[in-house]
Amino acid sequence: MIAIVKTYAVMLLESLGNTLLLTLLALIFAMIIGLIFALMNVGKNRLFNFIGTVYVDGVRGVPLIVLAYFIYFGVPQGMKMMGFVDFKLPALQAGTIALAMNCGAYMAEIIRAGIESVDKGQMEAARSLGLPYRTSMRLVVLPQAIRTMIPSIINQFIITLKDTSILSVIGFPELTNTGKTIAGNTFKSLQTWAIVGVMYMIVIVTLSRLAKYLERRIKRGTEEY
Amino acid sequence: MEQKNIKVHVENLKKNFGKLEVLKDISIEIEEGEVVVLLGPSGSGKSTFLRCLNQLEKATSGTIIVDGHNITDKHTDINKVRENIGMVFQHFNLFPHKSVIENIMMAPVELKKMTKEEAHEKGMKLLQRVGMEEKADVYPPQLSGGQKQRVAIARSLAMNPDIMLFDEPTSALDPEMVGEVLAVMKELARDGMTMVVVTHEIGFAREVANRIVFMDGGYIVEQGTPEEVLKHPKEARTIDFLNKVL
Repeated sequence: MIAIVKTYAVMLLESLGNTLLLTLLALIFAMIIGLIFALMNVGKNRLFNFIGTVYVDGVRGVPLIVLAYFIYFGVPQGMKMMGFVDFKLPALQAGTIALAMNCGAYMAEIIRAGIESVDKGQMEAARSLGLPYRTSMRLVVLPQAIRTMIPSIINQFIITLKDTSILSVIGFPELTNTGKTIAGNTFKSLQTWAIVGVMYMIVIVTLSRLAKYLERRIKRGTEEY
Repeated sequence: MEQKNIKVHVENLKKNFGKLEVLKDISIEIEEGEVVVLLGPSGSGKSTFLRCLNQLEKATSGTIIVDGHNITDKHTDINKVRENIGMVFQHFNLFPHKSVIENIMMAPVELKKMTKEEAHEKGMKLLQRVGMEEKADVYPPQLSGGQKQRVAIARSLAMNPDIMLFDEPTSALDPEMVGEVLAVMKELARDGMTMVVVTHEIGFAREVANRIVFMDGGYIVEQGTPEEVLKHPKEARTIDFLNKVL
């Protein structure tokens, strides 16, 4: 076990870095996607409602691994069929897209629930003062929604981090993929997967602790109200 | 007859929620400086009618003209018209994440009516007027109900509205706090504000209203001066209602 750690330390840490990079990129895009579709879903425009529902249901209805295969293998083939011969989609980009789309759908639901948890009177009060819908959303509703959303967002953050392991199937050198390589090279599956598991665990436990801490702080913040 | 300035003109207003007809046929005119109190049993449509006046509820049919703007016309910029119509809610609806003074400054600053400094100055004056200047930097959840409602009134006044709508402003208050809010409203009325008030405070209606409008079942059943409606009601439904509340 120590031998594996010694030999592969750099590789393992690098791939953990890749995992975190992938998670971070996916989350940033997922937040944007989530916000857009959540706003589509809570608004009154029927077309937007429809688009929002189709996105959320559609993406949540497809396993991440299928989505990843589709984007990494399917999309380039499609592009080539359409005449873009030089089209390339590296594993990091494909992985980020797949993960961001997947996480974005869940994020949209978290944000929608957050917005809907804010008392309707808040929007009405803002509108009655003459503030437009968007301004009311930005200044009055969203700041209050975020407070209730933070624990769920961090939870989703953790899920997304674990989901990066699924993207080992498209060959992106994240932690699980590196584990496969090491286990293949050394034939020491027990040790290798124990090490990889502990590495995930350390990061995730740290994150959940952070989540608990933030949650407590928010609660205190609300009591101040 | 002297020329009166009509502030609110409502013609054949109807409002349905799905199949439920809440307002069946409402027509009324309200003059500048008038204080109109809407009375009626719950479910009579008085709150819905009030909320139609700034289109928080969209009219199903009919015409509402406020300050010369036809707000039932889709092409009217409703946000612009709302700037001149203050509204006070039963549950105050202060923004809990903003301090009292920020609550008041938000709309005038955001809508570029005033600079931050002007809005702050105006806000402090309004807080003084409602007796809340000491709470300027406090957050709403730390205030009592009566204090919240006084801040909410100040927040509406910050936009310099010329009409104020009150939707049961004292119904969510503990009895000992009703007086402080009514006092602020009385002062507003004395200063010549055009007011439409949904309330169950008959005493306030008697003392302050120029006109009482009694609604039931989505119609205006009877209207007149407090003297006429409260002392000499003509309609059976009005008499029945007054017997229950007086």
